[in-house]
Amino acid sequence: MSVVDHNAIELSPRISEADVADYIALLKPRVMSLVVFTALVGLVIAPGHVHPVLAFTSILCIAVGAGAAGALNMWYESDIDARMSRTANRPIPRGRVTRPEALTFGMTLAFFAVMTLGILVNWIAGSLLAFTIFFYVVIYTMALKRWTAQNIVIGGAAGALPPVVAWAAATGSLSVEPWLLFLIIFFWTPPHFWALALFRSDDYARAGIPMLPVVAGPDATRLQILLYTVVLVAVAVAPWPLGYFDAVYGVTSLVLGAGMLALAANVYRRREGSAALRATRRLFAFSIFYLFALFATLLLEVVAHALAPSVW
Amino acid sequence: MDEKRPPDGIVLTEAQQKSRRQRSIAIALALGVLVVLFFAVTMVKGPAVLNRPL
Repeated sequence: MSVVDHNAIELSPRISEADVADYIALLKPRVMSLVVFTALVGLVIAPGHVHPVLAFTSILCIAVGAGAAGALNMWYESDIDARMSRTANRPIPRGRVTRPEALTFGMTLAFFAVMTLGILVNWIAGSLLAFTIFFYVVIYTMALKRWTAQNIVIGGAAGALPPVVAWAAATGSLSVEPWLLFLIIFFWTPPHFWALALFRSDDYARAGIPMLPVVAGPDATRLQILLYTVVLVAVAVAPWPLGYFDAVYGVTSLVLGAGMLALAANVYRRREGSAALRATRRLFAFSIFYLFALFATLLLEVVAHALAPSVW
Repeated sequence: MDEKRPPDGIVLTEAQQKSRRQRSIAIALALGVLVVLFFAVTMVKGPAVLNRPL
């Protein structure tokens, strides 16, 4: 049925009134900003010197690639976007941009982002960016999201890859450190999105998306959030004792991790009424700060080291 | 003789013309950035940027 809706033939010519803001909205700018930030950290902590022009090119290509993945996600999901209050205002459900326009826009940007990164920087980074877009659009959006409650667990790999792409762009190779950043984002994704899904479960149920609170119920989701938070905190602290990141990062990670654990435990304990809603909203908001602060610490350490190498 | 004939085909409204102009400018800027980027990287890496083992 949805296929018929998507491909309905328009008999009269349609002249687009979509402006630039509609196309920018297709890029999911808020998601893109997190991608740019995590990629920037991957690029900055990489060893050796990267020419500023190549660094800018790499971050721009990763950002455009992420935006392309967002546009292709909106192209495929326009039917469920229209049914959810959180996404009903996106350009396709509002009728500002058609699905073929979004598909063309997304594919064009994806092509240029991957080719530009590959030609101008290196093909390891270009291939990884292509794989990231493929994973987000085909594996997560098309296959997992409507099929399994583990959608965001496996799909989280796409959101975790940008620092790995950036590291590859800077060094032309891969090593342990970018994969540590990958693991942090990968294990951060479930508690972050399940906290959102807990207070948006009606929305997801209406759209027919098998998010964990819809399929397994809120209590099982609360337990999963707590368990994934324990793993996240351990994974985020581990690079310190393993010798990859230093004590400033380690202590910051411990303090922030304690905050995440406390809020996740609060979500697990408070299961009824406004207190439960408040607890999940707090965890969701803090999880964004947690990831930002953790990566900002790595970034600031590199900047501080560059400014005053003798002190560090 | 002096009467203006209505234009043939589809006539864009003011809003459609404005949004199309905006989109055209955005595409031109994006292409401009791409040209500058390729030029700048060619300067940074040397003219053999496209002539190397993959």
